[in-house]
Amino acid sequence: MVGLSGNCLRLLTGTQPTGFLGETEGFVFGEPALYARGVQRSLTPNRSPTVGLLSGLIITLAAVVAYSWYITLQIAGLRELQSDLADRNRKDSLQLLRVQNDLNSLALAMRDMLDNDEPYPLTAWSAQFQRIREDLDDALRREEQVAVARRTPEQRQYLGNSLAQFWDAVDRTFALARDGKEDDARAQIRLSLQARQAALSTAVARLLVQNNEREEQAALRIGQIYDRVQRQVYIFLTATLVAILLTSFYMIYANRRLFAQLAALSEQRSELAQKLIAAQESTLLYISRELHDEFGQILTAIGSMLSRAGNHVPEGSPLRSELREVCEIAQSTLDNVRSLSQALHPVMLDEAGLESVVDWYIPVVERQTRLVISYEKSGTPFPVDGSVGVHIYRVLQEALNNVARHSGAGQAWVRLRFLPDALELEVEDRGKGFVAHSAKHGIGLVAMRERAELLGGRIDFLQPPEGGTLVRLRVPREILGSHVR
Amino acid sequence: MNRRSFLLALAGLASTPGLRLVNALAAPAPRTSTLSLRLVDVTSQAGIQFHHNSGAYGGKFLPETLGSGCAFLDYDRDGWQDILLVNGMDWPGHKRQRSTLRLYRNNRDGSFSDVTRKAGLDVEMYGMGVAVGDYNNDGFPDILITCVGQNRLFRNTGKGTFVDVTRSSGLAARQSFSTSALWFDFDRDGLLDLFVCNYVKWSPEHDVFCSLDGKHKSYCTPEAYRGETCWLFRNRGNGTFEDVTATSGIFDSSSKSLGVAMLDYDQDGWPDLLVANDTQPNKLYRNMRNGTFKDAAVDAGIAFSAEGKARAGMGVDAADFDNSGTSGVAITNFDNEMIGLYGALGNGTYEDVAMQAGVGPISKNTLGFGCVFLDADLDGALDLLVANGHIDETVRNIRGNVGYAQPPQLFLNSGKRTFRDVAAEVGDGFSQPKVGRGLAYGDFDRDGDVDILITTNNGAGFLFRNDQLAGNRSIRFHLVGTSSNRDAIGATVRIFHDGSSQSRLVRGGSSYLSQSELPVTFGLGKRDRIDRVVIQWPNGKIEEYKNLAAGRAYECIEAKGITPLSGF
Repeated sequence: MVGLSGNCLRLLTGTQPTGFLGETEGFVFGEPALYARGVQRSLTPNRSPTVGLLSGLIITLAAVVAYSWYITLQIAGLRELQSDLADRNRKDSLQLLRVQNDLNSLALAMRDMLDNDEPYPLTAWSAQFQRIREDLDDALRREEQVAVARRTPEQRQYLGNSLAQFWDAVDRTFALARDGKEDDARAQIRLSLQARQAALSTAVARLLVQNNEREEQAALRIGQIYDRVQRQVYIFLTATLVAILLTSFYMIYANRRLFAQLAALSEQRSELAQKLIAAQESTLLYISRELHDEFGQILTAIGSMLSRAGNHVPEGSPLRSELREVCEIAQSTLDNVRSLSQALHPVMLDEAGLESVVDWYIPVVERQTRLVISYEKSGTPFPVDGSVGVHIYRVLQEALNNVARHSGAGQAWVRLRFLPDALELEVEDRGKGFVAHSAKHGIGLVAMRERAELLGGRIDFLQPPEGGTLVRLRVPREILGSHVR
Repeated sequence: MNRRSFLLALAGLASTPGLRLVNALAAPAPRTSTLSLRLVDVTSQAGIQFHHNSGAYGGKFLPETLGSGCAFLDYDRDGWQDILLVNGMDWPGHKRQRSTLRLYRNNRDGSFSDVTRKAGLDVEMYGMGVAVGDYNNDGFPDILITCVGQNRLFRNTGKGTFVDVTRSSGLAARQSFSTSALWFDFDRDGLLDLFVCNYVKWSPEHDVFCSLDGKHKSYCTPEAYRGETCWLFRNRGNGTFEDVTATSGIFDSSSKSLGVAMLDYDQDGWPDLLVANDTQPNKLYRNMRNGTFKDAAVDAGIAFSAEGKARAGMGVDAADFDNSGTSGVAITNFDNEMIGLYGALGNGTYEDVAMQAGVGPISKNTLGFGCVFLDADLDGALDLLVANGHIDETVRNIRGNVGYAQPPQLFLNSGKRTFRDVAAEVGDGFSQPKVGRGLAYGDFDRDGDVDILITTNNGAGFLFRNDQLAGNRSIRFHLVGTSSNRDAIGATVRIFHDGSSQSRLVRGGSSYLSQSELPVTFGLGKRDRIDRVVIQWPNGKIEEYKNLAAGRAYECIEAKGITPLSGF
């Protein structure tokens, strides 16, 4: 009760305004404490969406990692297949084609040798044969490097033996030619060399066919891998899509729940604040009336009694002067009590209306704060219910208090406009501005907003182009005549 | 596109006259020249009236598309370059005219006189190419005419006439379809030997019927015929030659050779040979210094294109075009195959730099034949000149951007291994499309720069005078061998100036069916002298002369010193 009283006094007199929220635990009213507990209950950790979202993220990441691993494996398999099989096969086939080309060149050379239409001895072809032999050896050496893994020992042996026998026959043929036995040499070509060349050519052709078959097999396997990867891609995409949809739905649901909780919390907070304000006002009104009615009557009676008692004491008696002194003290106390009563709740608000209160309050503030206040009043005044007027009065109090304490301005403008559809109150200064000192006045501003909201009106904190702050409260006219708690 | 695919494509398309108009419109407009040279067509002014007779009558014989060659030579040894133009003839049974080669004597005033008959050369033959060399070292250049059938060797009598010594020299024993040839001293015995390229085994009697539409005969591709070996004849020194084709390792029955160039690719002082083959791998015959050769083309990276394909090699030349001291190589090929421009890597291998050098892309739509390295603008960097012309008159019907007649290309060397075709800027007459074949250069007007001779298939011969516009200077050397062959073929001349050097090889042959002059010309730009010249004679001996003035020619006689000539 002490805290509440102090708080109410501060709000009332405009000194050290503090907020309600920071002092929630100090409230003696039951409802706010219950609300606070209710809010805590609704935000328990086991109902937070974070766990669900984290789970979704982990599942998605795990799926991506798993899929990347799978794809890497498949690509590695493809690369291995292509480099180890397809590429080597291609290189092997190129070398085999080179061998085939050399064998064909040998066949053509042997044909020319047998045609015997050149004016040169058969030995003239030896350089040509040597060139082909060197190229053939090189081609076979390279071919063996790329094909050794798949060539059977029998195949390698057959090719090597056949070639060795062929070149041995070639050497013997040229030896015959060098000895002048051209006919024997030609017979050797016809009977042996051409047949060996044909056999070699067939063997190479067979290897080429095998290579082709291997290439077809490799192509088939590559195709299967691609099909498998494609299928997995579809599955992965579907699963990812489902995961994304589930996560999205869950996020929407969680967000909606969060927003609903926030809205409820805000509603509760607003209701709490308004109840608090109402409680303050009723308390202050009560104290004000008590002071005015009870203590005022008592002090008035004391004053009257002292005055009568003094009449019974002879003039010049010391008692008479003491009674007068006590009477003056009582009168002074009575004045103070009335002033305090007026300050806690202007009685004239209910009796003379808001307009009169403002008329009374402006000079008071000017006296107390030494602010120069330009007060403008416009429009046709209309009656404002006291329960409404008190909130407008409190806003005026807080706004002027802010100007005096924080804006650094020495002048303020107060405008009270009786508009056809609303009452508008403006308090403007040319001080540091709202932003500069807003942080220090958070609670006061909250109180003003709550009062505006309580009235169903609107309050704006503006920054005029000339600088400073403009607080504008607008209350619909239909509210002004009604009673607000 | 190789020749086979080209001809197959030809079969599938009808004539499209509209393409001619499109191509004409697409032809580059003549540009105002900012070059330092101009090539002026002086053919008529010089009195050269030559028309090549391919003998074409409709029989579509293979040799008709290939001739013919030309040469600059100083046959009368008066110091002025004369001109020889090879000719074909009508085929047996289709005689319509008499046609012979033409020898034009230089009148020393910019004009020439036809001395064919007087010189005893008005002999009918189906000539293809020419090789000029003083094989008997008598001081007068002799002439070999390669032919379809019997090649002819004409010995220069020294009295302005020639004598046909084919039979007595022993060359009559060989007949084929010869193309390019060159004289060189492969065994360094001081006597010029003879290398002859042969194309395929062809004769009118064994002509193959080829057709694109199944009805009408067309020109066959070389694949339709067997290859033919090149020949190497060793000069015995007694006026006769020994066929050493077989023993020297030159023999290769699969070759289909069209061009040959001499070079020293391994820098051992012994002449090697590069043979351009059509649809067959090129051959680089490395001189083994023992009378034999070994083909090193595959190892050297010059046998095939960069893609490993045997291109349709036509003409070939080798020279130190990047002034590195080592010969690079240019080989002309079929259209869509680009010119092969091989730069020496210095370790006996070559790299095709045609694309990087800017020669490749621009030669994709041309079919090149004759090609020579020459310093056309005398700036000290060898340029590349190419004679172009297709083999099929109807080529434009299937390839709108390829014509039968094609402009020559003059690739100016920037000195940084890049080239730019300036043919359209050096003179309108020069860039006129021609069915170019033979190509040779020589300083016929003795003004210090090299002039150009171009022959066309079944068309005229063209003489272009080179006029220097920027005052670039040159220095020329006439080499005379004493213990080496008298023409000094195989000698290397290297000049040094301002910390840089240039080198030339005295060589016959090169290009396509043709031979350029033997004196060597160095462009010097604005320089007025050179620091020194080093001559390595064919026998290996080296001579050096210092501080020579530019703007003139020098006669260098082996072991006898150097003599400045008055002018060039």
